[in-house]
Amino acid sequence: MSGFIAELRKNKILFLMIAPVLVFFVVFSYFPMVGVYYAFTNYNFDGGLFGSPFVGMQNFKFLYESGALFSLTKNTVLYNLAFIFIGNLLQIVCAIFLSELTGKWFKKTTQSIMFLPFFISFVLVGAFVFNLFNTETGVINALLKQLGMHTYDFYMNTEPWKYIIVFFNVWKGLGYGTVIYLAAIMSISDEYHEAAKIDGANIFHRIRYITIPMLVPTFILLILLSLGGILKGQFDLFYQIIGSNGMLYETTDIIDTYVYRSLAVNFDIGMGTAAGLYQSFFGFVLIMSVNWIIKKTREDYALF
Amino acid sequence: MKQGLTKMLSVFLMVSFMTGILAACGGGSGDDAATKAAAPKTESGKPDISKKVELNWYLVGDADKDSPQVIEKWNQMLAKDLNTTVKLNFMTWNDWQTKYNLLFASGEKIDMVFASSWSDFFKLSKQGAFLDLKDLLPTYAPETWKTVPEQDWKDVTVQGKILAVPSTYPEYTPDGIVYRDDWRQELNLPEIKDLDTMEQYYEGVKNGKKITPINGKAWNEVNTLFHYYNDFKNIGGDSGIIVAKSYDTPRDVVAYPFTDEFVTFVKRMKTWADKGFWTSSTLASQQEAGDFIKAGTGAAYWRNAPGASGFIMDVKKTNPNIKLAYFPFTHFHNYVVPNLGINNGMAIPKSAANPERSLMVLEKLRNDPEYYNLMTYGIKGRNYDFTEDGSIVSPAPGQDPAKVKGYGIASWGWRNIKNEHPAKDRWEGEAKLIEEFKAISKPDIFAPILMDYQPVKSQLAAVNQVFQQYGQPLMMGLVPDVDAAIETYRNKLKTAGVDTVLDYVTKQVATYADEKGLK
Repeated sequence: MSGFIAELRKNKILFLMIAPVLVFFVVFSYFPMVGVYYAFTNYNFDGGLFGSPFVGMQNFKFLYESGALFSLTKNTVLYNLAFIFIGNLLQIVCAIFLSELTGKWFKKTTQSIMFLPFFISFVLVGAFVFNLFNTETGVINALLKQLGMHTYDFYMNTEPWKYIIVFFNVWKGLGYGTVIYLAAIMSISDEYHEAAKIDGANIFHRIRYITIPMLVPTFILLILLSLGGILKGQFDLFYQIIGSNGMLYETTDIIDTYVYRSLAVNFDIGMGTAAGLYQSFFGFVLIMSVNWIIKKTREDYALF
Repeated sequence: MKQGLTKMLSVFLMVSFMTGILAACGGGSGDDAATKAAAPKTESGKPDISKKVELNWYLVGDADKDSPQVIEKWNQMLAKDLNTTVKLNFMTWNDWQTKYNLLFASGEKIDMVFASSWSDFFKLSKQGAFLDLKDLLPTYAPETWKTVPEQDWKDVTVQGKILAVPSTYPEYTPDGIVYRDDWRQELNLPEIKDLDTMEQYYEGVKNGKKITPINGKAWNEVNTLFHYYNDFKNIGGDSGIIVAKSYDTPRDVVAYPFTDEFVTFVKRMKTWADKGFWTSSTLASQQEAGDFIKAGTGAAYWRNAPGASGFIMDVKKTNPNIKLAYFPFTHFHNYVVPNLGINNGMAIPKSAANPERSLMVLEKLRNDPEYYNLMTYGIKGRNYDFTEDGSIVSPAPGQDPAKVKGYGIASWGWRNIKNEHPAKDRWEGEAKLIEEFKAISKPDIFAPILMDYQPVKSQLAAVNQVFQQYGQPLMMGLVPDVDAAIETYRNKLKTAGVDTVLDYVTKQVATYADEKGLK
């Protein structure tokens, strides 16, 4: 303890500067964690958080009893993996293209256009999707009709939705991720490239042997950060695109939408918290184990 | 450095956890304080209003454009009469359900909130969300206490406690469809009287006008039709797929997907869907069928009876050339039940800081025409005006209708028949319809059944989700093979535990029926 006090004395300005951040996390992240206890109670307003009767694991029952938990977890994880990997790869590719472009005006314009979808709300994305794919007035089917081809009933078939959802999510996040990678590329010193040029490396060599290896730490960091939320589905995305369309749930149902449907009619604080706890707990386990593996293999890249 | 950091982190964790526990305990004791006995009265027997208070009220629905002015005026009146001001909050229609439920758990001090059977009044009552008003009412709202009918007080009495002030506005709100009567006559189709004539109408307008009859989302049009056509009755609010089989056999509780009626109905709906009465993307659509009627590309719209007359008047204003008619689903079985008193009402949450003053404000609002008119109809001479016979014209004559609209918020919580004014322009069919309903009215025996799903909540949650995933597409006829889909639906329901829920509801209904001496 004395070591800590000495440390505090020595660097008090530094500690003072970090204090707001610590307070922020304590108040908004650690303090609300007490609410996890809701998951184990039968909530009533007389008792409040600690006075309501304790019911053990009963609130978790609705998740596994119907047998849906496995396929839901699978869907959620697979969708998120697709989002993370396809998203990040495309972002890297775009960032490299942009960094190699020389025309400043074209570069800036492209970047802005790519960034725009990030600001569009999922409600609008949902409207886009409906107007593109619905059978009667949708753009795609109208086009097929004009060309004299058979129309395709998107809302009756589960197959295309996997790709549609992944596409729209990647499209929406592309500009944002590209900027992060672009920043990483900009921080690579020009000396490497110049030295490589003198040694006779062409542009592909330079990308392959300089840019990409230098991006790996950023890549791993972003992957690690997103892995923690791998069991948290993007509720907005799925809910706005699929909505209450039961026919498509087979391939598009994730934990969040399932929980929403189960509890929207019969709201229950305990069961809602239970589902959230399940997601957070597995996210925690996952990020710990992945970090552990990375630490074993390439220690420099580990988060902590 | 590293060791010091670890230690510091653990200290922070400890501190945060302790504060958490302390804060939660603090919250608990605050609740007790709110249930304290009524405030002392002054010697004259009048409630003491010497202390100035600000009340915190919540309503469902959106505010009106003119709400700020109306509320300001209201607060001036309240400050003068009751030494009180009210902060009136609105929960928008988009997300009121989530907000409403969280409101009671948030710990915010709320003095009055809209309450109703369709916003979980009974469930929240069981969970202890509302304050018992029994002792407060005679003192702080004497006129309300005297004028609200005995039966309405009974409706809001849960475990011996009066937990809300119901609105006093007897009303019938059965479901039905609004349809294009001008097209029906033009195409020589029979008047809609039953399911067959309804089908003829849909088919006629589909072929004759080349439009989708129920355009946009058609779920309500079909689901309510299903319930009324088969006389399946919801038990204690929306009971999902568990229903009483008919009005005359309240004890006969079934899960309707397992009935023959369901099979017959969904087979018919499959033919309707195949004929294109609604679109195949109807479940994904966010557009109301009524908007398509106004656009000339739709021919039917689900409304309850008062909603229908409102919609018909609305269309008359926007599209004078469209002629609409209404087919109430009560025609299938020729009876109708009146609404419960607590179909709309106001309640005081346990967290209230000033329940007494809040009741006094409600008393004024319900009974004083000046207050009532202001908060219900807006500003006189602007949003509305009275004709000689007491009907309402809105907006007031002389105002530019493009700029000033009639005033409208969800004021139903304090609605009082005594102070209501009929609109000057109303749908001519409305009075006839109400006469018709009065003649075939039967008491509502299903809505007051207090359902507490606590013991079966995990099964119920699973059943609700199966209903959405498999039941809704089936009901809309959007499955390739109906028989196979019914089979899957039933199996999934069994796995979800529908039998447990059914047993439980059956027992609850039987207990209720014994108590009330029903067949």
